[in-house]
Amino acid sequence: MRNGSAARLALVVLVITLPLTSRAQSQQSVTASDMRSVWDGVYTDEQARRGQPLYHDACSACHGDSLKGSGETPALAGNTFLSNWNGLPLGDLFERIRRTMPQDKPSRVNRQQKSDILAYLLSCNGFPVGKTELPHQTEFLNEIRFDATKPDPKK
Amino acid sequence: MAGVSAKSERKTNPNRHVRRILFPFLVSVLAWIPLEAYGQYHAKGTEWPTYAADLAGTRYRPFDQINASNFNDLEVVWRLKTDMFGNRPEYKLEGTPLMVNGVLYTTAGSRRAAIAVDAATGELLWVHGEREGKRGAAAPRQLSGRGLAYWSDGKVERILYITQGYRLVCLDAKTGVRVPSFGEDGIVDLKLNDDQTIFPDLITGEIGLHSAPIVAGNTVIVGAAFREGFTPSSMRNNKGYVRGFDVRTGKRLWIFHTIPKKGEFGYDTWLNGSAEYTGNTGVWTQITVDEELGLVYLPVESPTGDFYGGHRPGNNLFGESLVCIDLKTGELRWYFQLVHHPLWDMDVSSAPILVDITVNGHPVKAVAQPSKQGFLYVFDRVTGKPVWPIEEKPVETGSVPGEWYSPTQPIPSRPPAYSRNGVSMDELIDFTPELREQAEKIVSRYHIGPVFTPPVASKTEGPLATLTLGTADGGTNWPGGSYDPETHILYAYACNACLEPIGLVPPPKELSDMNYVYGTAGKKPRMINAAGTDSSADAPKPAGKAASADEWNPLTIDGLPLIKPPYGTISAINLDKGEIVWQIPHGETPDLIRNNSALKGVNISRTGQETWNVGTLVTKTLVIAGDGVVTTTAEHPRGAMLRAYDKATGKEVGAVYMPAPESGSPMTYMFNGKQYVVIAVSGGNYSGEYIAFSLPSEE
Repeated sequence: MRNGSAARLALVVLVITLPLTSRAQSQQSVTASDMRSVWDGVYTDEQARRGQPLYHDACSACHGDSLKGSGETPALAGNTFLSNWNGLPLGDLFERIRRTMPQDKPSRVNRQQKSDILAYLLSCNGFPVGKTELPHQTEFLNEIRFDATKPDPKK
Repeated sequence: MAGVSAKSERKTNPNRHVRRILFPFLVSVLAWIPLEAYGQYHAKGTEWPTYAADLAGTRYRPFDQINASNFNDLEVVWRLKTDMFGNRPEYKLEGTPLMVNGVLYTTAGSRRAAIAVDAATGELLWVHGEREGKRGAAAPRQLSGRGLAYWSDGKVERILYITQGYRLVCLDAKTGVRVPSFGEDGIVDLKLNDDQTIFPDLITGEIGLHSAPIVAGNTVIVGAAFREGFTPSSMRNNKGYVRGFDVRTGKRLWIFHTIPKKGEFGYDTWLNGSAEYTGNTGVWTQITVDEELGLVYLPVESPTGDFYGGHRPGNNLFGESLVCIDLKTGELRWYFQLVHHPLWDMDVSSAPILVDITVNGHPVKAVAQPSKQGFLYVFDRVTGKPVWPIEEKPVETGSVPGEWYSPTQPIPSRPPAYSRNGVSMDELIDFTPELREQAEKIVSRYHIGPVFTPPVASKTEGPLATLTLGTADGGTNWPGGSYDPETHILYAYACNACLEPIGLVPPPKELSDMNYVYGTAGKKPRMINAAGTDSSADAPKPAGKAASADEWNPLTIDGLPLIKPPYGTISAINLDKGEIVWQIPHGETPDLIRNNSALKGVNISRTGQETWNVGTLVTKTLVIAGDGVVTTTAEHPRGAMLRAYDKATGKEVGAVYMPAPESGSPMTYMFNGKQYVVIAVSGGNYSGEYIAFSLPSEE
């Protein structure tokens, strides 16, 4: 071992840990055991149906009818999309949509409509429908975790 | 110290427009560059003075401070969030910075600001932005772009970049202030003096560019880009010519017509006079130059209509060609059309790479062109003659009404294809027999075949489309490859599973005058825009579109790709022999696969990732590239890894954590005895950020 390797290791640990700590803090609520998952039926069929035409009005010009993206526009379904949001509070995805989409003027689609669009995206990605609608308040959406894969019921 | 105050700026730039269009905070952020850093400029081996490290497009620097023994020790030395460079965050940061004389230059943010930062600390030195109003808002390619160019004659230093609204801007590299003697007060309007009248007008006329200009000698070379060509509103469009400008004055020196004008060579490859109205055919990616030979290498994109060419019968030169022109005059020296009569969106999508190789004992000055279709095309760069035979082979001709088909396409005999470029049942997901069965059922509704299997007219009863690999998003895209001039090995990332269903439908007249556009039978065709369209800070609200009740039609099974791994690879290709030396999956196995309960008990080795925007960097011993997709593993929380591979073997020798995927290609430089690696990351919930890594200080 070279001299200073322990100090270097400590630095590496510090450097790797620091940015993660803030992330981990913001995710604390996500790991709470009583948190609902997108697999728990967090939107209704009617809400997704409301979201579909809104999606086609505001989103499909770039993301495509089949949500697969086009050219350089990212997909809103499938592996990369699910990976991007896996493990995060649903409020994070909602906030990204709320703040930046549609790109020409995010404010032209209101919170409720964006919640409906989000319900449509969930339905397209195969997450089950439920009996209550997705809320449109970010704080409430932060109580739902986006899980790419169905949680193992045995755990 | 030199600085620019509001007062001194007014003095040096009497034109009052300058202050209005510069960021208001330019004058407060200020130029802050130590004068002593600037003497006679010499291109140094420690720097990264142009987009791809050098004009040859190698993305190579022979540094060895960061190596296999210490890569895991890398730490973040500075980070630069780009949210402030525009009125909204950007999640698609693709720039590769330049480093000259201890200053890093790059583009950033939804404003596409040009910025300078201290290479050691990341401290912002100056920022320059152009508020282009409606012109910026209407631009076909928005967001921050891929970077900029640097030039110096040893006395003055210049930064050149292209705005969203397609204007070439020349800045004083010391201050970020426009150079009044260049063009008109530091700007050349690229929509003018283009041997065509940009229609419908200068404000909304479709033409722009998001790649970095390149400067060779005293000539700055600029290409052109357009909207996505999936669903063109017309068979007519503006044309993407390439121009050279004097770097001191902005005067146009030459132009190359990528669609020949009447009387020029290649005009007759556009039957029925279709060269007159067909557009696009630009060079939207990086250009390469051999200054010694005085030759410029142009990777040319598709003509109007990515997937339907019925309005442009003929081979369509110089669509999807590698073109060599003279640096001084812009005159054609040689060309090779990689795809005749393009129908697959196989734009020549990345920088050609200049390689001096030895084939059968003979030295060859060659040029190697990675591609979406997974072929590496290698030519003698003086003569254009293929280094290994490229044979014209018969291909399937389709039956879309009105289409014109080339009966043959050129297929390289070597190196072998380094990523998938056709679809067969053998390539479908096979983790379990059930998944394979489901995949076969889905694919049975599509037409499939090898490379150059043509698109079909979409039918509800099938085929819905031709299912393709190695087309629009396949293989190597804009990040391109890297090349080690010492070992003559080229490295290229490729998406190996980026499926593109290409179906054609007749559009309603109000949408397009084309006979066919991209679409699926039973679904209303829609205009498809480029990523970032209408995302400029100046973008207005577009007219609303009618809602419809289209059915969603996935090409995945429970989120799993239809195609089996590896999803994304890095290949090392020996260019003396035309052989693949090694090929590895690049990128952590996606969470969806690693944690999928349906795959429990299935032994899955690293799959790589289904993404196409990964760029590589090669150093003395390493190939460095970041993951393109977010994962969460036992070893790291949500994020992506920046990986290093032994360039001789492909064995992974280290990986460090990044908070988001690589979205621009890594670059490296030495400064004050320290090696840095800088990379742009963004995507998902993470807005654009440049991150600089280096080894811990010894102090």
